[in-house]
Amino acid sequence: MAKDRLAEVLARYEAVIGLEIHTEITASATKMFCGCPVAFGGEPNTRVCPVCLGLPGALPVPNQAAIEWTVLAGLATDCDIALASQFHRKQYFYPDMPKDYQISQYDLPFCSGGSLEIEVGDEGGYRTTVGITRIHLEEDTGKMVHVGGSEGRIAGATHSLVDFNRAGTPLMELVTEPDIRTPEEARCFARKLRSIWLALGISDCNMEEGSMRVDANVSIRPRGATELGVKSEVKNMNSFKALHDAVAYEIVRQADVLDGGGRVVQETRHWDAGARRTSGLRSKEEAHDYRYFPEPDMVPFAFDPEWVDSLACRLPELPDARRDRYIAAFGLPKHDAALLSAEYAQACFFEEAVEIAGADRAKQIANWMLGELAARLNADGAEIADTRIRPPMIAEIVALVEDGAISGKQAKDVFAEMAETGDAPGAIVEAAGMKQVSDTAAIEAVAAAVLEANPNEVASYRAGKSGLIGFFVGAVMREMRGQGNPQVVNDVLRRMLEG
Amino acid sequence: MSGIDLSVFPARQIRDAIASGEFSAREAADAAYERIDALDSDVHAFLQLTPELAYAAADRIDALRAAGEDLPSLAGVPAGIKDNMNLVGTRTTCASRILGDYESVYDCTAVRRLLDAGALPIGKCNMDEFAFGSSTENSAYGPTRNPWDLDRVPGGSSGGSAAVVAAGMASISLGSDTGGSIRQPGALTGTVGLKPTYGRVSRYGIVAFGSSLDQIGPFGRTVEDVALTLEAIAGEDAMDATSSPEPVERYSEALGIGAKGLRVGVVRDMLAAEGCGEEIRAVVDQAAETFAALGAEVGSVDLPNAKHGLAAYYIIGPAEASSNLARFDGIRYGHRAAEATDVLDLYMRSRAEGFGPESIRRIMLGTYALSAGYYDAYYGQAQKARTRIIEDFRAAFERFDILLTPTTPEVAFRFGEKVDDPYTMYLNDYYTIPVNLAGNCAVSVPSGLCTTTGMPMGLQIIGDYFAESTLLRAAAAFEEATGFDSVPPLVKALGVAKGGE
Amino acid sequence: MAITESDVRHVAMLARLALTDEQVTTLTAELGSVLGHIDELQRLDLTGVQPTAHPLAMTNRMRADVIVPGLSREAALSNAPESDGMAFLIPTITGAGEES
Ligand SMILES: [Mg+2]
Ligand SMILES: [Zn+2]
Repeated sequence: MAKDRLAEVLARYEAVIGLEIHTEITASATKMFCGCPVAFGGEPNTRVCPVCLGLPGALPVPNQAAIEWTVLAGLATDCDIALASQFHRKQYFYPDMPKDYQISQYDLPFCSGGSLEIEVGDEGGYRTTVGITRIHLEEDTGKMVHVGGSEGRIAGATHSLVDFNRAGTPLMELVTEPDIRTPEEARCFARKLRSIWLALGISDCNMEEGSMRVDANVSIRPRGATELGVKSEVKNMNSFKALHDAVAYEIVRQADVLDGGGRVVQETRHWDAGARRTSGLRSKEEAHDYRYFPEPDMVPFAFDPEWVDSLACRLPELPDARRDRYIAAFGLPKHDAALLSAEYAQACFFEEAVEIAGADRAKQIANWMLGELAARLNADGAEIADTRIRPPMIAEIVALVEDGAISGKQAKDVFAEMAETGDAPGAIVEAAGMKQVSDTAAIEAVAAAVLEANPNEVASYRAGKSGLIGFFVGAVMREMRGQGNPQVVNDVLRRMLEG
Repeated sequence: MSGIDLSVFPARQIRDAIASGEFSAREAADAAYERIDALDSDVHAFLQLTPELAYAAADRIDALRAAGEDLPSLAGVPAGIKDNMNLVGTRTTCASRILGDYESVYDCTAVRRLLDAGALPIGKCNMDEFAFGSSTENSAYGPTRNPWDLDRVPGGSSGGSAAVVAAGMASISLGSDTGGSIRQPGALTGTVGLKPTYGRVSRYGIVAFGSSLDQIGPFGRTVEDVALTLEAIAGEDAMDATSSPEPVERYSEALGIGAKGLRVGVVRDMLAAEGCGEEIRAVVDQAAETFAALGAEVGSVDLPNAKHGLAAYYIIGPAEASSNLARFDGIRYGHRAAEATDVLDLYMRSRAEGFGPESIRRIMLGTYALSAGYYDAYYGQAQKARTRIIEDFRAAFERFDILLTPTTPEVAFRFGEKVDDPYTMYLNDYYTIPVNLAGNCAVSVPSGLCTTTGMPMGLQIIGDYFAESTLLRAAAAFEEATGFDSVPPLVKALGVAKGGE
Repeated sequence: MAITESDVRHVAMLARLALTDEQVTTLTAELGSVLGHIDELQRLDLTGVQPTAHPLAMTNRMRADVIVPGLSREAALSNAPESDGMAFLIPTITGAGEES
């Protein structure tokens, strides 16, 4: 869809967007209400017990660590932490839900009333604050594989297989206020939230594997109107780009419906990344009736303010603070600092390299990370943890360049080889014999020979044709098979020609 | 023939006799199965017999004894287990078609503890389907008959567990009590039945009915047997977040010190209840006199909100049940309808085919009470009434150590007498329900036979939270003073063999 | 609040029970009778009374985040009406009605 089409629609309509973000607490060793391990994938139905299979008579016992992670998430997003809280049952039948109710939270979530400020666009962008209605804790469902249809979809399937390995994984649900106005804001919010969850260490936030799932409630209204339009709930976006594109598609689709004199229907719509469009599931004429009631298998929570304070002490440095520190301590440009701090693993990588190389080389380290390293990761679609490049290698490569041992051009070759082999830069330089020669005496010897071999050029230079310096440098470098330090070669030649 | 009559040997004596070598644990198991052979085709108290498990347990006890080891507190004691409790090696059907083939894959904590104390698991006992009922007529596998009169119900929902003890087919048994399901059949079969304080016994492994109401408790022919059994099964369980860390007392050691000085409150206003027979009313007055004669201070107390217990219970119980029974959907276990066209069809038909009429009634009632627009009027209001009932009990226990009511408004009724209007059946639990709503403990103790019907009557003694010691002490004093002969005529007609006392 | 046949059908759908017309008629009468008896609750003035969800005044019962051995797959699937030996097998889910 054309970008200007969205702009045209947004000139006439205001989009009102709220997000619901489910994050699996993968930091937890065990499931929400039983002692089964939390892990991705694996042989079906091998990480189950009476509790997470919903066997008759089994009872849930809440995982304290998962509750603490949720409270930390709330503290990191300026939420109020409820001192009195409890679980509720949310009831509906679905085959991947073992008890046919989900243990969730209703009117007493662990966290509520938070907010998050986001920056939209690069330099020259703007800031906006998105309200966080609540963060509550619940249990994830199992997984189904639909067999017999095309591409594992429900439509056309003859039967389905249910695996309960994921059932009961602690799942944190964050709901925003409908404060988001554009697809880009939605993307920025989700990215920012992910960077915070990663900094807290709550989850691996892997959107493709589904450990972070973003749903968007989208409606539009004519500019100036105060009444909200009918919303649709868009699901199945498994990347930030998909989130952006699905919301953009949905805004334009709704505008088309309204412009055509139609009426937007409240429904759930699935984003199809291949077709790049959303499509409606069966319209939910039968309104949900979840029959929430307090979970009688568990007692309520009454938290001590001191307990909350002790958790606050566990809060690590969050991405914004980290970014500001990078600017202040290392003099990084704001853009670079923001990029490096957004991704927790990347920030740790950066800091480890700076620790080795020294703060005065932080800028160069940042350049390598945002340049060569980022390009390589992008090309491979890899995460920083997946590469063979470790922080000491970047520190070493920067040091080699700074100390004049290799040229910037050589460094790029060394980087490429290092990325392939995982060998240390020093070893690569050594093995290739590409070490730059900065030794003045050695260069003088070569230079002397070059001057002696070219008496006419020497005479011309001395007669004022100073442009010939390039000829001499080239000749010396050729003799040295490119390993001479260009600066030193230059200095030596000038001294010998002019001296 | 083992020559042992479980009708006359209480659990404590069986254990001691095995310890002293008078007979073996194997012979105790034999005695149970011989009695079952003789009577259970009439009584139908068991849904499943588990001789492999029972004899394996007996052999372990006999080996311990042969090795000169100390025997645990219930060593060799034949026990029945209500069929809503999981035990590996047994089916756990809840007397429902929907779980007809369900094989347990883990153990209920209370059952595990009972067996760890040396009891022999004789079999799984009949019950009202999913514990919904007061007569055991709602079993999908046919009713249990009352050993005192085979034309009458044994009460319910733990009717099988009560009948096996009454008929001497086991010495003790486990039942579950959500609204009176241990105490009411206890009263109707002349056995002692205890509902512990909520949280006293782990609920892990018992198929849930009303999660905030359910408690597992023991049946016995004597208060001491009930105390011993409670000691074995009580206590905190890491698998049940509602089990209490309150320490378990040696309940059996608190017995025998009489009732002197106990403050006993007769719940006056409840006696005026509709349907409470003259003779049943007299039970409480006589009990009050008995306690006074034993040196207790007897007074009167009202529980003005307890009369709303029935209404609150028939919201809260079904609401929780409707949720707890959602999992019986034909996906992971249990009955699955044939040839389902899709999952919705599978849910709808599996559940309709698998659940009996009373289960369907309760699920419907509970779903309705929780549904959009009705929550506040029904569930919310019932929860508030529950608060009021709790306050009544709290006030009463400031003045008294124990409270007295009849256990039931009448003696065991005849089959089919109350099946037309579900509510007349529900009235049977009028006295027992408020205790489940409040969560405190209560026991039904036999208080004699009705002169017109010859059927047993029960006295309900109610105790404060975790005051089982006081409760059982009072019950033991009353038991001793009344000298109830707990052997039904049916059993006497078999010709009693070697006795214990 | 008299319960109607249409209420009963709606509730049966929520509870996933395929009732016959006859059952709907019977249940409408039976539930109506029970609800009539418990209507006394509606007449109680309980304003300001705190609801009790749980009889024990306990709070904060939690477990440590420690792995405990679960069931073997064989045990997990042992009561399954249908499985492929690895997962629970169910018919197509079109018509499940609701989705998470
Ligand atoms: Mg949710
Ligand atoms: Zn589990």
